[in-house]
Amino acid sequence: MEKTLAALSGVLERSLHGEAISQRPGLLQSLDPRVKLVGLLALIIASAASRSLWVVWAVYAAGLGMALLSGISLGVLLRRVWLSTFIFTGIIAFPALFLVPGRAVWSVPVLGWAVTEPGIRSATFLISRVLTSATLALLLMLTTPWSHVLKALRTLRVPAVLVVVLGMTYRYLFLLVEAARAMLEARRSREVGKLPPAEERRAATALLGVLLSKSLQLSGDVYLAMQARGFRGEVHTIDEFRMRSHDWPALGAMLGAAALGLWLGR
Amino acid sequence: MHIPDGYLSPQTCAVMYAAAAPFWWVALQRLKRSLSARMVPLISIFAAFSFLIMMFNLPLPGGTTGHAAGMTLAAIVLGPWGAIIAVSVALILQALFFGDGGVLAIGANCFNIAVVGSLWGYGLYRLLAGRATLRSRRRVVAGAIAGYVALNAAAFITAVEFGIQPELFTDASGAPLYSFYPLSIAIPAMMLGHLTFAGIAEAVVTGGVLAYIQRVDPSLLRTTARGSGDSDATRTTRPRRLTPLWAGLAALVVLTPLGLLASGTAWGEWDNAEVTAEQAAYHIRELPLEDRQRLGAEFGRLAQNSESPKSIQELVAAGRAVAEGELYEAGDIVQRQLAVLRAADPARYPQIARMAAAIRSPEGLSRWSTVWTAPVPDYAPSFLRSEAGGYVISAAVGAVLVGLLAWIIGRILAGREGTTT
Amino acid sequence: MQSATAFHLKDVTYRYSDDVCALDHVSLGIEEGESVALLGANGSGKSTLLRVLDGLYFPESGSVSVFGEPLTEEHLREEEWAFRFRRRVGLVFQDPDVQLFCPSVFDEVAFGPLHLGWPRPEIRRKVAETLDLLELSHLRDRPPHRLSGGEKKRVALASVLVLDPDVLLLDEPTAGLDPRSESQLLDFLIGWSDGPKTVVTATHDLGGIADIANRAYIFRAGRIVTEGTPEEILGDEALLRSTNLLHVHRHQHGPETRHEHPHRHTHRDHRHHDPGI
Repeated sequence: MEKTLAALSGVLERSLHGEAISQRPGLLQSLDPRVKLVGLLALIIASAASRSLWVVWAVYAAGLGMALLSGISLGVLLRRVWLSTFIFTGIIAFPALFLVPGRAVWSVPVLGWAVTEPGIRSATFLISRVLTSATLALLLMLTTPWSHVLKALRTLRVPAVLVVVLGMTYRYLFLLVEAARAMLEARRSREVGKLPPAEERRAATALLGVLLSKSLQLSGDVYLAMQARGFRGEVHTIDEFRMRSHDWPALGAMLGAAALGLWLGR
Repeated sequence: MHIPDGYLSPQTCAVMYAAAAPFWWVALQRLKRSLSARMVPLISIFAAFSFLIMMFNLPLPGGTTGHAAGMTLAAIVLGPWGAIIAVSVALILQALFFGDGGVLAIGANCFNIAVVGSLWGYGLYRLLAGRATLRSRRRVVAGAIAGYVALNAAAFITAVEFGIQPELFTDASGAPLYSFYPLSIAIPAMMLGHLTFAGIAEAVVTGGVLAYIQRVDPSLLRTTARGSGDSDATRTTRPRRLTPLWAGLAALVVLTPLGLLASGTAWGEWDNAEVTAEQAAYHIRELPLEDRQRLGAEFGRLAQNSESPKSIQELVAAGRAVAEGELYEAGDIVQRQLAVLRAADPARYPQIARMAAAIRSPEGLSRWSTVWTAPVPDYAPSFLRSEAGGYVISAAVGAVLVGLLAWIIGRILAGREGTTT
Repeated sequence: MQSATAFHLKDVTYRYSDDVCALDHVSLGIEEGESVALLGANGSGKSTLLRVLDGLYFPESGSVSVFGEPLTEEHLREEEWAFRFRRRVGLVFQDPDVQLFCPSVFDEVAFGPLHLGWPRPEIRRKVAETLDLLELSHLRDRPPHRLSGGEKKRVALASVLVLDPDVLLLDEPTAGLDPRSESQLLDFLIGWSDGPKTVVTATHDLGGIADIANRAYIFRAGRIVTEGTPEEILGDEALLRSTNLLHVHRHQHGPETRHEHPHRHTHRDHRHHDPGI
């Protein structure tokens, strides 16, 4: 329960934080969302495809530079990217040091396990790539209001139905998260002490059941509200972007860097 | 199980996008043409709910906690295609907002969890639940088992994707560039966790929420409970009958480029009847009201002028079905009587002629297969032709086949049970 | 659609299920330019009636006509008819979370015009104008989950007013609002309804009805109990009590005195904490 509550609060907090950053002045904030989407995606691909660690690191450095120019502090990146990467990927990558076969460069005292050179390379590759990709994706989401991301997807020919579903999902996610949080907190205030696990499991599934039936009822009402304003099964979206003078060089720079990275890291 | 970027090579990611794409395409087409526009908010809000499920920590036996992915529950409430979209959308949002899963890996994550997971969950649930009543205990058990197996199927595919990376992608010195554990480590490592904790969490959530739904609003289970014996179950599940068609198309799309299935085989023929019926139903649905009434009347007139008793009976039924808006019934009759309808005089039966002209079944499928076969041999990117690409594709295809097999068995059994009533 | 009658209902019956009859042989007429209140306790059928008037629910028996034409499912299936109707008649739902389903305020207000096939430049112009009118321009890019209750309500209203409808259907417009937002909203509606517009408000809040309606119907259990001017109805205490619009409240004034007195049901007295989603 406590863990779930923390996770739910985390969702709300992060979205709030993202909205605050996207309002600040900064390099990425000033760019057209389509430029950011295409440019950052190209850089992610370049880092993913590279066979050279230097290219991955260069892309990562570019990401850090863009973050600083966009008013995103290293503390944010530390919390949102580094921690989870090192905890999750670090645990997975650690045994690779010993398991990947190859020339031994060092052996652990007492245990005698051999750390191999390809092992180090592989683990470094994995961690560097995960960091780079997660950072660039985070930059996009932190510096762009969600409704603009959706519209950018639409101009890149992602089907309108999918874009609308994504938008509605995000919107109602918050409603459901708030509802879940209210229900969990109400439970917590009623109950003193810890429930036996079986009880707690039953309570959790019942809570999900309540949320599910609320969700479905809500969807019925939302459908009526959509119909009332002319929805007939086909969705339309409107976008309002215009490329400004500095968007083109920015796009050129990001695509150029990505192409260079792909070539150097081939 | 959400794969971050960096674990899979971009080639693998591309293949996984390609593997998920036909399922997305079909599911979105269904959503767009679905006879009920209410699927848009329903799927959206259910996707939000799936997202929520993934955040709920459950205490598990042994003092640990785990969370479920919820694709089986989604498949039971929305049907497999709705579930594919809903779970995919939840995964996309997780990747974008919470860095849970990579951006390039979205295709892989969606394929593993939303496609393979939903199809397994749906197929097994249908198979195990049989024709049990909506409130039967059997459905809860079926849901729990289906959830457990579906999650493990998804985990298995994920492990395979991890495991083939070191075989395929290494740098000049032989160091793996992406995930480095071979299949012999990746599979047991993944499966250990999922066969135990995560699988149990999934089973608990699926079964538990299902039991709760049974108590408060069993009608939610109707979508995927055809032939459950509850009085009006069959009426509300009408659109579901198109699923074999789409499954067939999806399989065709995935399999033809690989040369595993020649186009125009039994698959193609098997689909034609359904394609025709669907096109007819769609045509009628799109008609303005007056034209629809005219079409109904033309069926009646044609019946009067018909010779064979069988045709008379069918055409009268078609007229009634059109008038009552029973579009799928009308579509089925149109498909059976297509020869008679095509022979009708266009001057006297303009609506029937228009409808007959709108139905173009056989070419449709063969066109599909050429679209998908053409690029592969010559101008495909090199990884598709290389040994590496072969491995990746085989893994993807294996996943699809296994998922489809379970699902088709479920359908056949469900169908057989349905006809004996 | 030229008649002077906006809505005409004859013997309308609507059931949610076999045993829940939301509207029971309801007949009424609403003239163009009128402001009508539908009063009743929760579950008396007034919200259902609004949904019938907006062509979202279709009665099991009886007939509904709008501007002299029958309002039927068949008519609404025709795109041209449906677009004309949706443009002329707008419904503001009680729960703004139901009505605000788009990713930003701008998209929300643009949804109606966009789905009724307006040209894009016209949409942009009209949306900006409506946001100005309701003092929402600064919230243009705000996602709906970051709006206050009063702002949500105003955006919901904007999403309907952008179409410049002839008829505005309001379901509990002041529910859940703090007193300041409530009077702001009422002031706006009073100004808006003064013109040739038709306004139908369903509410159990007797607070502002004398201002926003010149005629009222009282509902109980899906039936019309009576009809009259707001003054007549507000003066009839027995009637209000029998329809649960007025009830006796026990409460404490100050530390000592406890007394009972009849109480008009207004939101200024009760805050409705809706834990729902």
